[in-house]
Amino acid sequence: MTSATGAVVDNESPPDVAAPTRYAGLVTRAVAFVIDAALIDLVATIVAVAAALVGALFHFPKNLHTLWIVLGVTAYVLWSAGYFIVFWSTTGQTPGARVMQIRVVSSSGGPLRPFRSLVRAIGVVLATLPLCLGYVPVLFDGRRRALPDYLARTLVVSAPQLSLAQVQRGRMRARKLASQPPAKPA
Amino acid sequence: MLASLGSRTASATLRPLRGAADAAAWVGTNLEQRALDRLLEGKELERVLDSPRVHAVITRVLNSPGAARAIDELFDSGLIDRLFDRLLTTDALWHLVDVIAGSPAVTAAISQQGLGFADQVGEQVRTRSTQADDWLERAVARVLHPRLTTAPAQANSDTP
Repeated sequence: MTSATGAVVDNESPPDVAAPTRYAGLVTRAVAFVIDAALIDLVATIVAVAAALVGALFHFPKNLHTLWIVLGVTAYVLWSAGYFIVFWSTTGQTPGARVMQIRVVSSSGGPLRPFRSLVRAIGVVLATLPLCLGYVPVLFDGRRRALPDYLARTLVVSAPQLSLAQVQRGRMRARKLASQPPAKPA
Repeated sequence: MLASLGSRTASATLRPLRGAADAAAWVGTNLEQRALDRLLEGKELERVLDSPRVHAVITRVLNSPGAARAIDELFDSGLIDRLFDRLLTTDALWHLVDVIAGSPAVTAAISQQGLGFADQVGEQVRTRSTQADDWLERAVARVLHPRLTTAPAQANSDTP
């Protein structure tokens, strides 16, 4: 299959068969990030409302307000960072990335380790704080890398979802290729 | 007295005949068994079944209106209904249903059916965003390098 821009994209090849990799662009990443942010905030809001309702039943001294705020912010930061670190280091895909069918992989193409995911999460904060300027390199880089990718040495690649039949077909093709005798040198 | 004498005489007369009949039956059974054994052990049966004539006969029988009539009669007889009624009472069938329902292919098909609308929306968003990615990069490339009009996305895919 050829994309609108002429980039060759093979949607039918499973991961075990070498196929051209397509890197995720700025808009695709932004949409995935918005979905993730919505999910993170939705869960955080539900938990905050539940905690507030439970807290309303008890009488707390007024000087504890600051402590509650600090605890809330800490929990929010931990939840947000944990969300990305866990998803990147396990499946390589956050729910938003899954919807957009993209995946974060290491520069060698393998899965990310938790430490690298942590570095990438810090990179995301650093790239987002100065009005998202850290994502501008995506427009110029040949592999569409942003600041978090440079810091953690990662890539964001297209990861089309394959049906069971496609996976099976790909495995059979790979097995067939592996069983073929190597070509004799000329 | 006289009747019993007659019966005994008849029995004694018929005894050799009965023995001969039994022997003939035994020989017949034995011959039939040997013929069947030979047929099953030998390759004649395979040869007969593989022959194109037998295939032609089978095809003709299956395509004949008589075969269709026989199937209709089979269904009309209620035998199939009875078969299914019986099948529904067996544990093996429900075990089979459980196995099929839990198979990855079926669960994937069900979840795919449930996510049909979300999938359609997602597909649209993905297509549009990919186009927007390429358009944005082309626009930036055009601004930065007005002389180069080729798509920069050509470089954004490679073989790992």
